[in-house]
Amino acid sequence: MDDARGSHLSVLIDLSPTQWHNSAQGPPRNTYPLPLNSFLSQLLAFLNSHIASKHENTLAVFGAFPGKSVMLYSTIDPTNHDQAIDANSYPPFRLVDSTIVTRITEELEALGEPEEEAPSSLVSALIKALCYVNRVTLPSVSTTNNPADGHDPAILPDPRILVLSVSPDLSTSYIPIMNAIFSAQKLKVTIDVCQIYGPDTIFLQQAAHLTGGSYIFLERRDALLQYLIMSFLSPPSIRKILSVPTQDKVDFRAACFCHKNIVDIGFVCSVCLSIFCQPVPVCSTCRTKFPMKTLQRLNASRPLLSSSTSNASRTSPSTPQARTPTALGADTGASTTNGARSSTAPLGGLPHSGSIGNGTPRAANINGSRPGPEAR
Amino acid sequence: MPPRRDNDKFIQADSDSDISVDDEDFSKSHKGKGKADVRRKRDVKGKGKAKDTQSYTWEASYTRSWETVQEDEAGSLQSSVDDWMARGRRRRLLEPSTAIRRTIIRHLILLLDLSTSMMDRDMRPTRFDLMLQVVREFVAEWFDQNPLGQIGVVGMRAGIGERIGEMSGNPQEVLKCIADRHKLEPTGEPSLQNSIEMARSSMSHLPTHSSREIIIIFGSLTTCDPGNIHETLDACVKAKIRISVVALAAEMKICRDLCDKTGGQFGVALNEGHFRDLLFELIPPPAQQAVSRGASRATNPSADLMMMGFPTRLPDTSPPSLCVCHSEVKSEGFLCPRCLAKVCDVPTDCDICGLMIVSSPHLARSYHHLFPVRAYDAVLSADEAASNSCHGCFRPFPPPPTGTTTTSEGLSPLGRYRCPDCKNDFCSECDVFVHDVIHCCPGCGQ
Ligand SMILES: [Zn+2]
Ligand SMILES: [Zn+2]
Ligand SMILES: [Zn+2]
Ligand SMILES: [Zn+2]
Ligand SMILES: [Zn+2]
Ligand SMILES: [Zn+2]
Repeated sequence: MDDARGSHLSVLIDLSPTQWHNSAQGPPRNTYPLPLNSFLSQLLAFLNSHIASKHENTLAVFGAFPGKSVMLYSTIDPTNHDQAIDANSYPPFRLVDSTIVTRITEELEALGEPEEEAPSSLVSALIKALCYVNRVTLPSVSTTNNPADGHDPAILPDPRILVLSVSPDLSTSYIPIMNAIFSAQKLKVTIDVCQIYGPDTIFLQQAAHLTGGSYIFLERRDALLQYLIMSFLSPPSIRKILSVPTQDKVDFRAACFCHKNIVDIGFVCSVCLSIFCQPVPVCSTCRTKFPMKTLQRLNASRPLLSSSTSNASRTSPSTPQARTPTALGADTGASTTNGARSSTAPLGGLPHSGSIGNGTPRAANINGSRPGPEAR
Repeated sequence: MPPRRDNDKFIQADSDSDISVDDEDFSKSHKGKGKADVRRKRDVKGKGKAKDTQSYTWEASYTRSWETVQEDEAGSLQSSVDDWMARGRRRRLLEPSTAIRRTIIRHLILLLDLSTSMMDRDMRPTRFDLMLQVVREFVAEWFDQNPLGQIGVVGMRAGIGERIGEMSGNPQEVLKCIADRHKLEPTGEPSLQNSIEMARSSMSHLPTHSSREIIIIFGSLTTCDPGNIHETLDACVKAKIRISVVALAAEMKICRDLCDKTGGQFGVALNEGHFRDLLFELIPPPAQQAVSRGASRATNPSADLMMMGFPTRLPDTSPPSLCVCHSEVKSEGFLCPRCLAKVCDVPTDCDICGLMIVSSPHLARSYHHLFPVRAYDAVLSADEAASNSCHGCFRPFPPPPTGTTTTSEGLSPLGRYRCPDCKNDFCSECDVFVHDVIHCCPGCGQ
C-alpha cells in the first residue's frame, strides 16, 4: 500500500491475576502453559513490530485490571520517564517496553490481596479505548493547541482495537458491550479479538463479527507471537489480500436482563425488547403488564422446551477437549449467580434456557460452594 | 411553495436515532407546555439554522452558512463552537432521564406514487427513478433498525391502489418486489383514498401489540377519489394508523391533515438529498404517544411477551448442507437453537419448530433508549483532589484559567464534566461522545 499515513492500533490487555495464574499452570491443566511474563515479552515484540512497520503508526495500550482500567502507554501522551541511553536498544522500542512493564508492575502491586477478586474490567477498557479513538480521530480544538504533537491526528485511517482476553464472558456487561460494538461501527473501528485463555467469549465473538475484525481462539498458546503477527499486524485494508483467518462460528446468544444468564431461547417484551429467561408477568424495564393468556401459553410450552434443549450442547465440534464446562466452570471465579437463584450455572458452563428456572439445580455441582461475586 | 418551517423541523435532528425524541418535543411545545419546552424548541431551531445548507435545487449555490458563524473580538471562532456545544448540553439536561417507551414491533405499508407526475425531471434522473433508488436504501436501513418489523408495498396508479408487495419481514422479499422498474411504470392519476383503503385493509388483521404505519411518497398535486377521503382519514385514526407523507411537489392540505390527525410527519422534499433525509427520519422507532404513556402505562393492551431464539451463525467455510427454507445446498446459515434446523436468514420463524429466530445484536440496537446515561455536571470550581486527565480518553486537562472567565451557561470553565454516579471527570469531547454515541459511562461501566 502506498498510503503515506500510518494506522492506529489500540491494544487492550486483560490482566486478571487469577486467570493468568491459571494460565501458567503446567500440563495436567494446560497442554501449553503461558505465564504472564512470557506473554508480555511476546506482546512487546508484537507492539515493536507495529511501531517499526511504519514511522507514522500510532499505538495505545490499555490494561484491564480487576475493577479498574488504565491506559498503559500512548504515542500521543508519552510519559516523561528519563531513559538511560542504552547502546543495545532502539530508543522508541525501549520507551514502549519500559513504560508498559513499569505501569503493569505498579498497577499489579497496587491491587493488594483482596478477598474475592473482582472480574476484570475489560468492557470499561473497551469504552475508554473507543473514547481515545474518538479523541484521536476528531480534529479537536484542544489538540491543535499542542504543536509538539508533530503529526496531524485527524488523518488516522482504519483505527483498530485488539482485545487480548483471558477471562470468560461477563454477562453483566452485555448491554455496555453491545453499545460499544455499535459505537465502534459508527467510528469505523475494527475490533480484533484474541482469546488467549479460557472459554470462547460469545460477546467478543459478536464484537469481532459485527465490526469486521477477526476472532481467534488461541489453541497453540506457545505460538502466540506467530498468531499475533500473522493475523493482527496488518491493517484491515491489507487483510483481504492476506486472507487472515476469520472466525469459525458466531454465537448470537444474549444475556437475560433478570439474572444475567446467557440464554439461547428468551422471552422478549414487545414494547422495549428486554430479554427474560422465563415468562414474567410484568416487564421489569418498562413496567408493561403482559396478558395472562400469553403467560399461560408460554408456560405450557416450556416443559417441551427444556426436554428438547437440555442435551443439545452448544459447544462447537472444533473446540478442544480442555474447554469442557466442568473443567473451566470451576475455576473461572467470574460467575454471576445472584444467590437467590442457585440453579444458574457459572458462565464457563453457558447454561441453556431449558435448564434455567425449572427447579433442577443442574449446575450446582459445578458451581459448588463457591458462589461468584454479586451481580451488579 | 413549501413552507420553511418544515425545513427547520426536518433538518434539526440529523443525528442518528434520537429524532423522535425531538419530534415529541415539537408536539409538546405546540401545546405550549412551559418555558423549558419553548427554550428547547429555540435551541433546536438554532441548531437547524446553523446546519441549514439545504435549499431549493435552483438556488443551491446561495447557501449562507457563513452568516451563522460569528467571530469574537479576537477573530477566533471558539465562542461560536462553545455556544453550539452549550446548546447541546442544555438540550440533554432537559431530556427526560427516564427511559422513553418506543414502539419497536412495527408494521409499515409504503404507498408509492406511480402516477404520470412521477416522470417529472425536476429531481434527477426522474422523480420515479430517484424514489425507487431511495426506497431501496430505506428498506435496507429500516430492517436494520426495526428487525422485527414488516413492510408491505402498495402503488398508486391509474386511479386505483395496487398491491405490489405483501407484508413481509424479509428485506430481500420487499426489495425484490420493488426491484423491477418496468413492472412499476407510472401511468394515470393517483388515488389517495383507494390506496389508503387498500393499505388499511391489509393491516386490519395485525396483532394489537404492533404499530401500524403508512408512509406515502407523493409526487402529484391532485388525487382522484371515489368518495370522501375524510371518512378514510377518520377510519385510519380509529384504527390507530400513523400516516406520514413525503411530498415531492408541494404541500397539499389533505396530506398535511392526514399526518397531523394520525400523528405522523409531513415534509416536502426540496432536493434529492433532502428527500432522502426526510424518508430516513422515519426509520427510528417512534416514541409512544403521550396519551398512552401517562394514563395507562400499566394496562397497555398492545404489550405482549414473545418467545425468541438466538441462533448460531455458520461461516461460509463450513460443510454445505440443505437449508430448511429453500432446500438449497449452502455453507453459511443460522442454526435454530431449539431444533438445530438451518435457515438462510434472520429474523425469521423457524420452518421446522416455529420459533421466532432473531440475532441478539438486532435487539440490542434499541437498548440505549432504555438505559440512558445521566447527564454530566459541569465542574465550576477547581478541586484539589480531581485527577489531571480525562477519565475517558486520558487527555490532560488544561491548567485552570487565572482570573475570571465568562462562560455560557452549562459549560465548565475548566473543561471538566463530572459523572454524578462515578464522580469521574471527563473532557467535553468525551461528554458528547458518551451521551450521543456510546451511551454508557466509562467510569460506571467499571
Ligand atoms: Zn433471567
Ligand atoms: Zn418492556
Ligand atoms: Zn434457505
Ligand atoms: Zn426450530
Ligand atoms: Zn476525554
Ligand atoms: Zn459514571
